[in-house]
Amino acid sequence: MGKNKTLRALTGESRIENQNKIAYLFIAPWLIGFFTFVIYPFFKTIYNTFFEIKLESIGYTYLYNLIDKGGNYGTAFRNLYFFPQLFDFIVMEFTYVPTIIIVAFILAVLLNTGVKGQGIFRVIFFFPVIIMSGPITGILYWNGAGSLLTYADNIIFKMILSYSPQLAEALSGLFGNFTMVLWFTGIPVILFINALQKINVNLYEAAKIDGANGWQILWKIKVPIVKPTAFVCAVFTIVQLGTYTGNPVFGLIKDAVYTTGAGIGLASTFAAIYTVSVFLLVGIAWFLLGRPEKIKKVELSSIQRINMEDLARRRAEQKKGTVTAQ
Amino acid sequence: MNALLQNARTRYDRAKTYVKGHKAKVTHVVTQIAIYIFLITISYVFLYPIFRMISISFMSASDLVNPEVDWLPSKLTFANFRIAWTVLKGEVSLLNSIKFSGLMALFQTIVSALTGFAFARYEFRGKKLLYTIILLSFIIPVPILLITQYNMFNEFYQLIGRTSQGQGLNSYDSQMLMAFFGQGVNSAILIMIFVNFFKLIPNDLYEAGKIDGANPIQLFWHITIKLSLSTIVVVFLFSFVWNWNEDYVTGLLVGDGIELFTNQLGKFDSLFSTRTSTMTHPDAGGEIQLVESFKMAATVISVIPLLLLYFVGQKSFVQGIEKTGITGE
Repeated sequence: MGKNKTLRALTGESRIENQNKIAYLFIAPWLIGFFTFVIYPFFKTIYNTFFEIKLESIGYTYLYNLIDKGGNYGTAFRNLYFFPQLFDFIVMEFTYVPTIIIVAFILAVLLNTGVKGQGIFRVIFFFPVIIMSGPITGILYWNGAGSLLTYADNIIFKMILSYSPQLAEALSGLFGNFTMVLWFTGIPVILFINALQKINVNLYEAAKIDGANGWQILWKIKVPIVKPTAFVCAVFTIVQLGTYTGNPVFGLIKDAVYTTGAGIGLASTFAAIYTVSVFLLVGIAWFLLGRPEKIKKVELSSIQRINMEDLARRRAEQKKGTVTAQ
Repeated sequence: MNALLQNARTRYDRAKTYVKGHKAKVTHVVTQIAIYIFLITISYVFLYPIFRMISISFMSASDLVNPEVDWLPSKLTFANFRIAWTVLKGEVSLLNSIKFSGLMALFQTIVSALTGFAFARYEFRGKKLLYTIILLSFIIPVPILLITQYNMFNEFYQLIGRTSQGQGLNSYDSQMLMAFFGQGVNSAILIMIFVNFFKLIPNDLYEAGKIDGANPIQLFWHITIKLSLSTIVVVFLFSFVWNWNEDYVTGLLVGDGIELFTNQLGKFDSLFSTRTSTMTHPDAGGEIQLVESFKMAATVISVIPLLLLYFVGQKSFVQGIEKTGITGE
């Protein structure tokens, strides 16, 4: 018996087929859950958007209403709150996400310089991730604990305000809530540090030998290499901001589910439009950060090549010189 | 003469390198100080709401309006916490929250480990597609799923007749069911943590196990699980914390059915008047007015369990995020 098994294991007969069965057995719970709780609800909600749904004694009644003034979509467009709030949400994403990514990257670069006590800073920067929940951010936000900077009297802010009130409003949303914005950097900072630590140290050495300063190393080496990480962070932040209490769209959808007048059809429509806008935001992030970099082929003129060869020779001589001197 | 010149030159060179080195040292120190100042400032901004919260939670109503009291309350008293504890129904919601988050975390950890094992260990049809789907499922916003999930559970509970108090949509059964089938809070991240860690386990171990006649479940238990206890702790902690803090799904699927710290805190204002009507203020006497201090005290209370967890498992949390390995891919 045992021998048989050994033989089979060694010969690897019908291995792939077996693996298929076993693997699907292991992921079965997840797969079942995925179809019941993700795939089905997703398409069902989209299907719901085309109907006026009412709860009657026999159960839900579906009434197709898309031809009637655009149906639920028309109602959503005419809703006084939905589109303004969705717009606010998108403005929030556009101001928060770049700020979070940039601040997280700066913090990661600084922590990665090997300052002493970086462990303590990491603990501080990560700790909001642990306690951040809807009610807590809500309470801290409404009590003004999140706003630290008094920006309203700032002369620069006043200049922006007179120039463009919309921009000023977006900025005040950002700075009035700056601490809460920082609280979203917890996970991006760790991801950026991890990415920076993976960079080969020889690259820096090579750049330094070629006469690059710290600034150039930052822009020409660190930024391009962490770009994929920035994309991951951006997606993560977009999703996180979506679940943040400051997001008014969530509340509106929740209320619409409970309101019998508007019904599930309208709530589904809100949710569907909201989902499309989140996907668009992720798409924009991908367009800006996620696309693979094209490697540029460098054409050298003959003079440049001669110069470089000359430089290389001199450097080799120099090295030999220092070795003999030692 | 020549020797003298040589001597002078070496001295000059030495001085030059000394100055150069010294200059580099000075700039190094200056940058270090600048970095520290920046990091400490940012840390202060990070922690400001927490300091503020703790400070206000100790303040009395008169302290709040007193312009002379900025950070330190005039009197150290825990009265606010006593009231906040009553409003939160502390003893009930603490146990409920621990039970809820613990059970959810347990289910999520088990299912994520099983799924992660399959993805890390086996080659099967549709593997790449399914893995992409896991990643993509992370960006689907919750509301679009939640509306139908709510209706599904509603119909399901009516069908099996579990609609009374403490059952069905008044309990966390629905979320438990979803967690058991791998669709809890941020399940995608948990699965990714497991996949990336399990991939590191050398194949030879499994081969050896196979030769000794172990079946896949034994391989999973005796090799994978026993080697990745630290990762399991990480996933459990994350899941625990995320479930503790989750309030949107819980708000709809549990509603008012069960007292949890997070949902009690969210409804603090409305709960305050009903639950303190029989109390008198320990200091002032008479009826209690709702002030910020009570709310802050309640927030402090609900954060304390998480803080304890963080200070115990602080390293695991940070390493856990690094382990997702999603930085490069």
